[in-house]
Amino acid sequence: MSRLGVKVGSVSLKSPLILASGTCNFGHELSEYYDLSILGGLSSKGLTIRPRAGNEGVRVAETYAGMLNSVGLQNPGVDYFIEHDLDYMRSLNTGVIVNVAGHSYDDYMEMIRKLEPHKDKIDALEINLSCPNVKAGCMSIGSDPDQVFEVVSGMRSLTGLPLWIKLTPNVTDIKSVAYSAQKAGADAVVLINTMLGMVIDIRTKRPVLHNNTGGYSGPAIKPVAVRMVAECSKALSIPIIGCGGIMDYKDVIEFMIAGASAVEIGTASLIHPTCPVDITEDLEKYCEENNIDISSLTGTLQLW
Amino acid sequence: MNREYSCKILKRDMLTSDTAYLTIECADIANRAVPGQFVNVSCSRFLKRPFGIASVDTSAGTFNIGIKVVGAGSSELASIEEGSIVNVLGPLGNGFDLSASDSFILVSGGTGVFPINFAYETLRSKGKNVTMVQGFRDKSQVCLTSDEYIVTTDAGDYGIKGTCIAGLDTLKIEGNTTVCCVGPVPMMKAVGNWASGKGLKCYISMEQRMACGIGICLVCVCKKKAEEEGIPFEHVRCCKDGPVFEFGEVIL
Repeated sequence: MSRLGVKVGSVSLKSPLILASGTCNFGHELSEYYDLSILGGLSSKGLTIRPRAGNEGVRVAETYAGMLNSVGLQNPGVDYFIEHDLDYMRSLNTGVIVNVAGHSYDDYMEMIRKLEPHKDKIDALEINLSCPNVKAGCMSIGSDPDQVFEVVSGMRSLTGLPLWIKLTPNVTDIKSVAYSAQKAGADAVVLINTMLGMVIDIRTKRPVLHNNTGGYSGPAIKPVAVRMVAECSKALSIPIIGCGGIMDYKDVIEFMIAGASAVEIGTASLIHPTCPVDITEDLEKYCEENNIDISSLTGTLQLW
Repeated sequence: MNREYSCKILKRDMLTSDTAYLTIECADIANRAVPGQFVNVSCSRFLKRPFGIASVDTSAGTFNIGIKVVGAGSSELASIEEGSIVNVLGPLGNGFDLSASDSFILVSGGTGVFPINFAYETLRSKGKNVTMVQGFRDKSQVCLTSDEYIVTTDAGDYGIKGTCIAGLDTLKIEGNTTVCCVGPVPMMKAVGNWASGKGLKCYISMEQRMACGIGICLVCVCKKKAEEEGIPFEHVRCCKDGPVFEFGEVIL
């Protein structure tokens, strides 16, 4: 195995780099830019039981160091995904992570029941308890430790597939939410999803986004994500996947030092679609020069 | 494989007081681009900015884009120094079907003049019969024009007074003709309805606030009539499924 191989619990990945849900669709488009088999994995667009058209009107707003989106979980529905995209993702020769969203406890259980028969094609389920752009479920479940425990326990009883719980940063105490996920049997937590934000057009006095608020992503939120990974790394025994504003290899290393076993690259793909190619090369070089395996960096943070 | 290019700005001309025309070096894009496609260009802001390709010179290995100043990003790019390097993704999206007929009517409104210019040059080089109708707000906005074109201005201080429809109404339609129209939505709607009234196929090009430009983020959607009954519409991506659509395919 190369120096970039990592393990997230029972899941072996050839690289710590995973493409974040909602920034790679199902892989078709980015395959036109590079060979996705260099990646540790690819997390599908967030899926729901029925197809969702997503939010209407303007869905993106820009800031100095990031962007807000209010896509609203537009997706073709899990049945369509299983029929049309799952085999394709499997063919990419990289980790297949299926991102699961829902509006209620029952939704999440039904999603697991639909995906369980296809478990041989799936490396892990990423449970989206954190989308800020839908009216029910997701973030409202993910910001309450009790509901997180209930939903994750329910899913745990239905599947043996690795459950990676993607959490929202829009909470006071991320550790208590993450700990609930661990206690309920989660295999890993993914920290963090987008931060809830608003951008106002001062001419019209209206929010730029027609959903009024949106999920803030990009380098601006990286310090928040790194802090949350570091906090949870001390509190949890399950692995953490770091996510939030990664633009280059140094950001990956920073997340791993903070305690991440692997990382997700999101918004960077929207700016530079081939950035994972550069990051992979740079990480290989870094490991070579320092004569280390990348996994040895995880949790090496020295606090003052 | 597609890739992101580092490209030199070879030339910057000002077409009007607030519209620049850039000549950018990139043989790959020049060779591959078809009219209706766009490029996504970096500036110092976080996201790239999309611009319709206005012309290509395959022998020189260059292409052109027109930039009207609307915000900070376009303002920066419209005043960029010659010799600067920008990162460019492209050519992106689907272009016009220029094999649809032997005769074309091209209609532009505002900055639609740029992608329509590329369609005009391509169709002329293929020896097709092309009629150009350009609509501008007023004389100060007129650019990339010719005596052979029909020009309309809302203000009436140049060409025919009125919208593009006033220009189109002067035309005599013969044989199998296709209309390609790029401009503001109300204008494309009017032109599309005009074309439908004459029984002509019409292509339009959609614009939305965009991020990635390559179809992975789903922010630049427009509404398409759903194929399935009971669903009012589905969202399609302007960048990847468009920007060119047949009139009637998307809900304007």
